[in-house]
This record gives sequence, structure tokens and C-alpha cells, in this order.
Amino acid sequence: MSGHATKEFKVRWGMVIDVDKCTGCGACMVACQVENNIAPATPEMDAWAGVTHDASNKLRTLTWMLVYEINNKKAFPEYEAAYMPRPCMQCASPACVPVCPVVATDKNEEGGIVSQVYPRCIGCRYCMAACPYHARYFNWFDPTWPTGMDKGLSPSTSVRPRGVVEKCNFCHTRFQQAKDKARQDGGDPNNLPDGAYVTACAEVCPTGAIVFGDLNNPEHKVHALAHSKYAFRLLEKLGLGPQVYYYSKREWVHRLGDNYLPNEKKA
Amino acid sequence: MGLDRRAFIKFVVGGAAGTLFTPIPWKLADDASIWSQNWSWIPRLKYGALTADATYSKLCPAGCAVKVKKVAGIAYGVEGNSANELSKGGVCPLCATGSQMLRSPSRVAGPMKKDGDKFKPISWDEAEALLAEKLKGLKGQDGKVAAISGDLSGTANEVLSGFLAGLGSKSYFYMPADQTAMAKTWNGVMGGSGQIGYDLEEADLILCIGADIMDAFGPVVRNQKAFAAKRPMEGDKALTLVYAGPVRNRTAAVADKWVAVRPDGAAAFAMGLVNLLAKSGKSASLGGFSEFADLAAKFGPEAVEKLAGVNAEALKDVAKALFTAKNPVVVVGTEPGQGAGVALNAAGVALNAMLGSLTVLPEFPKAVASAPDRAGLLAKDLVGWLNAVDAGKAPAPEVLFVYEANPAYALPQAANMAKALRKAGTLVAFSTFMDETAALADLVLPAPHPFERLDDAQNPYGLGKATYALATAVVAPEKDCKGTPDFILGLSGKLGVDLGFGAFEDVLKAKVSAIGADWDALAGGAAYVSDKKGSAQASLDAGALSKALAGIKGEGLVLVAQAHLNIGTGKLATPPHNLPTIRDTELYGKDVFVQMCSATAKSLGVSEGSKVKLAAGGADISARVSLYEGVMPGVVAAPLGLGRTAWDPYTKGKGDNVSKILAVSAEPGTGFSVWAGSAVSVAKM
Ligand code: SF4
Ligand code: SF4
Ligand code: SF4
Repeated sequence: MSGHATKEFKVRWGMVIDVDKCTGCGACMVACQVENNIAPATPEMDAWAGVTHDASNKLRTLTWMLVYEINNKKAFPEYEAAYMPRPCMQCASPACVPVCPVVATDKNEEGGIVSQVYPRCIGCRYCMAACPYHARYFNWFDPTWPTGMDKGLSPSTSVRPRGVVEKCNFCHTRFQQAKDKARQDGGDPNNLPDGAYVTACAEVCPTGAIVFGDLNNPEHKVHALAHSKYAFRLLEKLGLGPQVYYYSKREWVHRLGDNYLPNEKKA
Repeated sequence: MGLDRRAFIKFVVGGAAGTLFTPIPWKLADDASIWSQNWSWIPRLKYGALTADATYSKLCPAGCAVKVKKVAGIAYGVEGNSANELSKGGVCPLCATGSQMLRSPSRVAGPMKKDGDKFKPISWDEAEALLAEKLKGLKGQDGKVAAISGDLSGTANEVLSGFLAGLGSKSYFYMPADQTAMAKTWNGVMGGSGQIGYDLEEADLILCIGADIMDAFGPVVRNQKAFAAKRPMEGDKALTLVYAGPVRNRTAAVADKWVAVRPDGAAAFAMGLVNLLAKSGKSASLGGFSEFADLAAKFGPEAVEKLAGVNAEALKDVAKALFTAKNPVVVVGTEPGQGAGVALNAAGVALNAMLGSLTVLPEFPKAVASAPDRAGLLAKDLVGWLNAVDAGKAPAPEVLFVYEANPAYALPQAANMAKALRKAGTLVAFSTFMDETAALADLVLPAPHPFERLDDAQNPYGLGKATYALATAVVAPEKDCKGTPDFILGLSGKLGVDLGFGAFEDVLKAKVSAIGADWDALAGGAAYVSDKKGSAQASLDAGALSKALAGIKGEGLVLVAQAHLNIGTGKLATPPHNLPTIRDTELYGKDVFVQMCSATAKSLGVSEGSKVKLAAGGADISARVSLYEGVMPGVVAAPLGLGRTAWDPYTKGKGDNVSKILAVSAEPGTGFSVWAGSAVSVAKM
């Protein structure tokens, strides 16, 4: 699908998200914005941009992490709903990478995280169009915080100017910090123990629905969980090979995850 | 800002068009993109020492144990504190943005006094002198000074209520919540002592009747943790969760079973379970139980079907699950966390007593000896009192203090309640943010943000063990604010009211030592947890309950308000970072959405997106319809927390305030103000 070969890496950071445990509280969305210095969509922007822009009209908001509400499409009383948090899938063969004309995005040795180099990005948005998971966002506006709120920016992530495409990078700076710490403590930065590197969304989640770790490492929880019969990936049939797995014991959640038509047989 | 970046890149790339097959234009574009990102107005990051200090955030109703992350001493984020028993490392969506709220545009910068339509800044000394002068003449006259508190767990209440008692006033009220309704039931009507608790950690079956434990009921993060701990992904689950309520809400989304129950029929449903359990031989050692069981016999499966909309089989299944579980716990409450009556709570207590899971927590000893008992204050009916003030049946207070609460916005029939508040001679708001009540007030005295102050929490409602947590000031105040209890201690000194302390820190130290806890451990972020149990002796008043239960109709269109923590609370409007978490089916542009299933919509002649007017209790709101099959027929669900008239541009004027149409009535037999599942009318606009 993505038209180029799947890259394999020794370390493959990934997530297993338990849909049966996510309550849709939104704490992960908030934590992600705070960690990554995503400016709140300020109503003041309207004046100069001349565009209706406000987070209560979400056409142009930035939310690297988005919690979808899905349901079994049945009427009361058979109706069931579930919540599906969606970071970037860090696909094994990402659709977003080959379409970038300036190589601003890449799938690299950094644990198979798909990077986005903001200073290189020219904002052509080809990658946005290519990503079937809608995981990429265009930064329409200058990042402005309410007066004084910019005083408390997180020191880990630089602030992106308007005009670039942004996305979840598994809180990449936390990975750097974990590796630095391992080096300082005499550990192996290329073989981090489970829990040494945790993303902001996984850390904050009150139900522990997001489990993060190295999918290739049998000592990490995610390794076994991703192999569970209850685990699946979104739009698996596209063949992008996401590094984010979902977990549910509900059949309709699985079917929806791969966008099966109501009567289509599951492969 | 001159030539913008897009235009610049377009210009460079455009100029090179025609040579697309050489790498040159892309190289130029690349250089341009790098160069064009050096705009001076993009904020630069601060660098310096990274630290994280433990404290307890009271931004959400239950509180989250957090660590405030700082760079060079400036707070920028929070992480959970896994060493704290209360929230075990989890953080709710409000406390997750706690550091950002230190610099919220809604923060009150310093003390202010109303001057015509505006406010003018005054000094703390002026504020103190002004209030001392006013209160001097009111000493010893009951009803002249009153207070409303929205902090249901803090020792600050002892200072405030002790001060009022010293002035001779008994008019101290807490904002209504599931906790106050339970206090009215357990401590008031049933004559029990201590506080009802829910030991979810030990449960193998949790039945929630109304209580949305994953979003609005009690210590939400601890509830989520207790649930998750028994549902490992790797092994078998050790806990079954059943949700009984009108909406497939966040608790229902992760529950094993959702039983749709009309919000006005929750008490009937609970009585139906009492009846089936009694028939199976379960009993309870509560006073008056046999009369109560006789009363429950009137709630056979057919009666419950009529009153609660639950079919007989579903009711029997739930009773069977309760009967066979080892450690079942029944949590009673309401979807929005407020407005239930004594009948539902008494039935809940009885169910737990019959199942052997009635948990009573002892109250911690008081620090301020002259303060009235907390349980008695919690059982008081604020809404009933304000209604009486509004109707001229109770005298309006000369001075009304509002602490950590926003009654002008968050009480049911909000417009009427705001009218009653305005009747007070001097309305004093102790508030961190410029909320609707502060906007009405004559004096606004800013309280520090939770990260800037010393505070505590004793027995947050819903926990299964007596728990105490301490909050310390982990950052310097960013505004000219003052801890409310310290201000009150200063004022009491001026008025000759001796509370036994000169500073709030000493009050808390006395509290901690009376409990027998260790100050340093608490200040380091650990919670004190006691295994002591309170007395489970109390009696059911079948007479009063039979009247209350006779009022259930089980017909007509009813409203269920939903509290969603991410949107905010009565006390806290949506923080800027939380706006994207609100769904398009809850708020879009300026429209709030109400949810109903297609069957209800059809009977009302409305469809997806229809603009409607919802009316109840003499007030109305406008909204749009969102079809949601997770709402049972005959019920309309609407989110609380929107329709702000104060705060900031992030929240102001978005949607409408559903509290306006929560219609209050007096529960027959108990007289307690109730509004859960009140009738509503929906008309197409
Ligand atoms: S989810 Fe989208 S943006 Fe992320 S790697 Fe895959 S294709 Fe690229
Ligand atoms: S991994 Fe980090 S960047 Fe990605 S969604 Fe989670 S918090 Fe955001
Ligand atoms: S924080 Fe956890 S429970 Fe809450 S929405 Fe995110 S994944 Fe779901």
C-alpha cells in the first residue's frame, strides 16, 4: 500500500491500548498537549486570521492524541459504545513517509518511531492526505498561549511555528531522556527495561488502558499483549503495520477496527 | 507579522516551478522552511533544573495526588504520584492541566470590591477592615451571617464554620452532592454516625445504581484504578461491573452489563432488589428492617418495570448476581453527582447491609474544637434554604461568604438561586477564578490555586477506608491571593472570636497530630489510610420512606444531566486545554447538544441537529438534538458545565447552562430538595 518496503528495527516501541478499559476521560489528550507544548486554540486568533477558529469547532485544532467514540451501530437497547484513543500508529511501512517531497518525515532507527522534522517541513500536507489514520495535523496558526500561560512551557519539546505538519512522536524526548539516564546509571541505552521510557499519555491514564513498551522485547509487557488473540490493529488490511495495537474482547470492536462492512466476512 | 510563512514558501516553490525535475526547488524550499521558522514571536523554551514536587490537587472534586513538574522553579506540568494510595499515579483530565491553570486568563489578580458595575482593586487590609466593621454589629444574631462551601473535604471548613459559630450563626451549608444526600440519609434520617464508604478494592461485583463512578461519582481516579486493578489484560478478570442508569455513560462503556433504569425510578429499582434479596433470605441488622422489608415487598418485578422501565428478567438477573457474588458492593448516586433523595440512598444502605458490605468510615477528630460536626453540616439542605430566602420565607443574610463554590452557576434552578444570592447584603466570594458567583459578588477575595496553598482532604466521599491527604504549596503564588482560612483567622481575631489558632498551618498540624499521622510523610505526598471502621448502627424509617417512594411516577419525559469531568465542574469551567476533548455531539460552535434515542426523537417530532427548547421549573435553555441510542426512551440527556457567563473567552457563551432547568421539588416524607430525573418538555424551535 505504502509502496515501499517495511523497515525492521531491533527495538520497536509500541502501544497496546485496552479499549475495554478506556473510559474516554480525555486525560491522555490533555497530558499530550501539555507535554508537547500544543497551544490551546485561542479564540483571539480569529481577529487576524479571519477564520473561525476555536476548539469548540474542531476543524483546525491540534490533538496529536484523539479519543474516538465508536459504537456497534445498533438501536437501544442493544446499543454499545467504546472509546478508542488514537496516537500516531508509527507504521512499519508508513504511508506518510514516501510522499514527503523534502524528507521531513522518516521512519528511523529510533525504535521505529516515525519522526517529523519541523524545520524541514514545508507544509505541503501530502503526508496528511496519505495517512489513513488522520494522525497528522496541520498547524494553521501561530502557537499563542493566553497571556502568561506561555510562561509554563514544557522544556522538552520545541514550539512549532504555524505552517508545518505535526504529529505524535511517542514523546520522543522522553526516549532521549531515558537513554541518557541509562547511560548515566551504567545501563544499556539500547535495551531499556520495561517502564524506563513511558509516554505522557500512558503515564497519566487512570485506568492503565495504554500500555507502552518495546514490542520486540519479551521482557516488556506489550510484547505478549500484542500477541494476544484479543489484540488487533486498525485497518490491518491496508498493510501499513501499525506499532499501536488495540485490545478488546468485543467482536464488533474488532470488526470496526478494520472497517469491515456489515456483511463482509472477516479475513 | 509581514509576509507569512506559507506565502513565502509558495513564492519560493512557485518561482522554481518548471524545474521540478531537478532537486533544486526542493532544496530551496527546504532552506526556506528552515529560515522561515525563526520568527521572533514563537515562544522560546526555558531551561534549567527539572524538579517534581508532590502535592494534592483540589482542582477536581475528589482530588488527585500529583507531582508538579517544574523547570527552573516554574511549574509546567503534572504527573501522577504513584506513592499516594488515593489516586495511585493516575490523573484526571482537570488536574492534568493544573499547571496551565496557574496562569488561566480567568484568575483573579487580587482582592476587589464592587464599584457600580465594575470592580476596583483594594488591599487585603482594607478588605479585612471592611468586613470586620460589617460583622461587628451582626455578632450573636443567628441567620445574619451565612456561608456556602464547595469544598466537601477540607479542614478549612472547620475554620469557616467555627468562625460562623463564634458569631452565633448556624447558617453554614455545603454545595449539594451525592455526599450531602447520603449524609442527610445516613446521619440525618437514619441517625447513623460516621460516613458511608465503598470498598471497591475488595469487591468482586460492583453494581452502580445511577452513580457514574468513572466520571462523576466520588474519587473518580481511585474508582478507575480499583476497576483496572482487577481487570488485567493478561489474565482473568476478578471483578464484574454492572451499571444501572438511564444513559450508557462512561461507567457503562466499560461495564459488563448496562441495565437501563429511568433516573426517576432508581429508588424503585433498588427497592426491587431489596425485595428479591429479602425473599431469598437476606436480612440486615438495621433498626426497623422488617417494616422496611414489608415496604420493599410492594416493589415486585412488575411494579419496578412500571416505575423504572426495567423488565422483570433484567431485575432478577441483577439480584441473582448480587446474591451469588462473594463481595458485592452497591454504589448509589446520580448521573450528575447531585439531586438524589433519601429514598434511593436508604435503599442503597439497606442493600449493602443485606449483602454484608455496608462500610462506615469514622470521622477524623476535629482540629477546631468550636466548629460544628461535619456530618451534621453535610446533611443540611442548601437548595431548600435558598429557595426559602428567594420566597421571602427565610431572612436573607446580611453577609454571605462563598468558599470554593459557584452557586450562582452550579445549583439547580440556577437563575433563581442567583437571585436569592443577590439578596444577601454583602456577598463575599473566596475564589481563585472569576466565576459567575464572583462576578455577582460585592467582594472578591482571591484564594490561591491549589498548587500555591496549604490544604487537605479528609475522607473524600466514596472511598472504602478513612483517608487523609495533605496539599502543600509547591509553587509561589502568581497573584495577590491569600489562603481563605488564614484570612478568616485574621478576621476572627479582630472580632474577638477565638478559634484557638492564629495560622492555618497550625490548624493542619493539630489535625494531623490528632489523627496520629506523620506530617512529613503527608507533606511528601503519601496519604494516611486508616483501617478503623465506624459504627454501622442506624435505623430505617419506613414511614418516611414509604411516602418518598409513593411519589415515583415512572412516566413522562425526564431530564438527566450528565457531569463530565473533562468539561469541568460547577466550580471550574473548561480549562483551555480541555476544549478539544469535548465532542462535536456535545458542543459545536455555540450550540450545546442534548442526546436522545431515535424512538424518543420520533415521538417528539425532532431529528438529528434540530434546534429545540428544553423547559422545566419555569426556566428554559436552547440546544440541538444529537441522536444517541445509548439513552433509554423517555429520557433526554444533557451535559453540565457549559453556558458560562463569566470566566474567559474559552468558555464564555458556549452552549447553555443545563443547571437552569433542573427543577427542584421537596421529597415527600423527608422534605429534602431533590431534582434527579425531573420532568422536562422539549419543543422544536
Ligand atoms: S499513522 Fe499516519 S502519520 Fe503515523 S506513521 Fe502511520 S501513516 Fe504516518
Ligand atoms: S505518545 Fe506522547 S506524543 Fe504521542 S499521543 Fe501520547 S503523549 Fe502524545
Ligand atoms: S486517559 Fe486512558 S481512560 Fe482516559 S481517555 Fe485516555 S486512554 Fe482512555
